[in-house]
Order: sequence, then structure tokens, then C-alpha cells
Amino acid sequence: MPEPPQSDAELIARVVVRDDRHAFSELVRRHQSAVRTTLRRLTSGNHALADDLAQETFMLAYRNLASFRQEAKFSTWLYRIATNAWLADARKRKEELLGDRDGDVTDDAPVDSGDDAHAGSNVERSASLSMDMARAMAVLSDAERAAIVQCYHNDLSHEEAAQVLNCPVGTVKTHILRAKQKLKSRLAAWARD
Amino acid sequence: MGSRLTAMPHMNDLPPDPADDWLESALKAAGEAHRAEYLDDAGFTAKVMGALPAPTALPAWRRPALALLWALLGLCIAFALPGFVVDVVRDILRVVLGQSVSLAGIGAAVVAMIITAWTAAAFVLRDD
Repeated sequence: MPEPPQSDAELIARVVVRDDRHAFSELVRRHQSAVRTTLRRLTSGNHALADDLAQETFMLAYRNLASFRQEAKFSTWLYRIATNAWLADARKRKEELLGDRDGDVTDDAPVDSGDDAHAGSNVERSASLSMDMARAMAVLSDAERAAIVQCYHNDLSHEEAAQVLNCPVGTVKTHILRAKQKLKSRLAAWARD
Repeated sequence: MGSRLTAMPHMNDLPPDPADDWLESALKAAGEAHRAEYLDDAGFTAKVMGALPAPTALPAWRRPALALLWALLGLCIAFALPGFVVDVVRDILRVVLGQSVSLAGIGAAVVAMIITAWTAAAFVLRDD
């Protein structure tokens, strides 16, 4: 009979107490998708960079696992490490990132939802809006994008997002408000429907 | 007496503008799509595990060597102070049993203690 799956807390205890590599690999396997998809959103779809940062996230998690106090969910702790890794990398790459945006999605003109999308089915329309949303997300500041990703994509409360982003709850709310204003402006064509 | 004053809501706590419902819906839909998305591991876990620092394993000889050293220490004490060891064991048994015991009884107790100690050592030093 197969053993019941162990909880994150049990696996963490095995890693901390006995340096159990199998337990840590199970933790990585469990959380890799959530961490990688979050980093893909934060890096505006740069999959290679997102995976490099995800690897760095798990390495840092392994080194600091003994300091994890289980006050938050393990996934929330991982999001915090991932966000910090991304912010540190973004600071290093600031010039490069700005350059990429200039050639990519930096035109300030609102996104045109397009006649095809309007005329198509709901599924096509939804897919089109999703693509435009992803493009619009790229023009947000790092802090605004991080707040939107944590609160909407990772479904964290404002308090949890504040823990992840290491800032006051009010700052998270401000980032979200400003992000929504920018998104509204960028996606104005969709509001007219 | 309680205050009748109500706190002014923070700007960010105000309910969303109904005209922005489409944006809220779009963000929630994007969030749901994000959470439903599952990335196949595709070797990611193996890559992470391969990049971890090598385990700092104790040398294989360390545990048996430690056990041997403790055993030697015990034997040295027993040989250096045979009368002392016998007296201590006899007194302990006398206190425990409340009566004087024979040398054969002490020998049996010592053997029992050695067996217990070795069993405990074997349990502690077992390979997981």
C-alpha cells in the first residue's frame, strides 16, 4: 500500500534534521510549477530567466530552510525568496530591461483590442484580452507588477502579499491601485465593449 | 461611552468603481488561468538537486571509532579500579534490591547491563 503523502512541514523537518535530499527533491517537485509560473509573470514571459531565478530560489530555500519558522505557508515563503531574487536581478539588469522594453512593448499607445477579437467568440475574445493583459503588465513598474502577481495570480491576501514583498500593507494597496490605473489606460479599448 | 465617529475609509479601501468591473474581472480571470497552469517538471527538480552543495557526510569510520573509544574507556576503568567497580555495582544493587547479593548475582547484573548498553549503542548507531 502506498504511503500517504507527507506534508510540507514533515518534509522540511526531514531536510533540516537529517539533510534528507529525497525530502527536499519532493518539496521542489511540489512547488516548482507555482514558483516558475510566478517568475514567468514577474519577468514578463522570459522563461529562461524565470527558470534560472527559480533554481536560485530553491537553492536559497535549501540554505535557509532552518530559519523557516512555519509562521507563513511554505509556498508564501518561497514566493518571497523568488520575488527578492527577481528584484535583485532586475536591479542588476535595469538598463538591459529598459532597452528590451523600448523595442518590445513600450509604446504608450493603448492596446487596441482589435476588430477580430470583438467579432470572435467569447473564447477568442478572452484569449485576446489575456494576451493584451500580459503585454500591458510589462509596462508596470517592478513593484506594481509584483503586487498584482501576488494578489491576483497567486491569490494572496494584501497582508500575505505585504509579507512576500516586505513592505507595509498600505504600500501593497497603493501599488495595486496605481497598477490598475495604468492597466485601465493601456487596455482602454476593452472598456468600451 | 463609545464614540459615534466612524473612521474615514482609506482611499485604497474604497469599493472599486463599478465602471472598472471589466478590469477586475480580467485580472481575476488572468489569476485563475495562472493558478490552473501547471508546468511540467521537465528535469527542473533534477537540475536543482544537482546544483545543491555536496552533503557533508561524516567519515564512515567515525561512528565505530567513537563507540570503540567509549568501550576502551569503560574497560580501562574496570581494569584500573576493579574493586571500585564491584563495590559501586554491589552498593547500587543493595540499594535497589534492599538486600545484600552474591558475587554471581552481581556478575549477572553486569552482564545484563552490558547487553543493555550494547543494544542501546547498536540502536543509536544504526544506519537509517
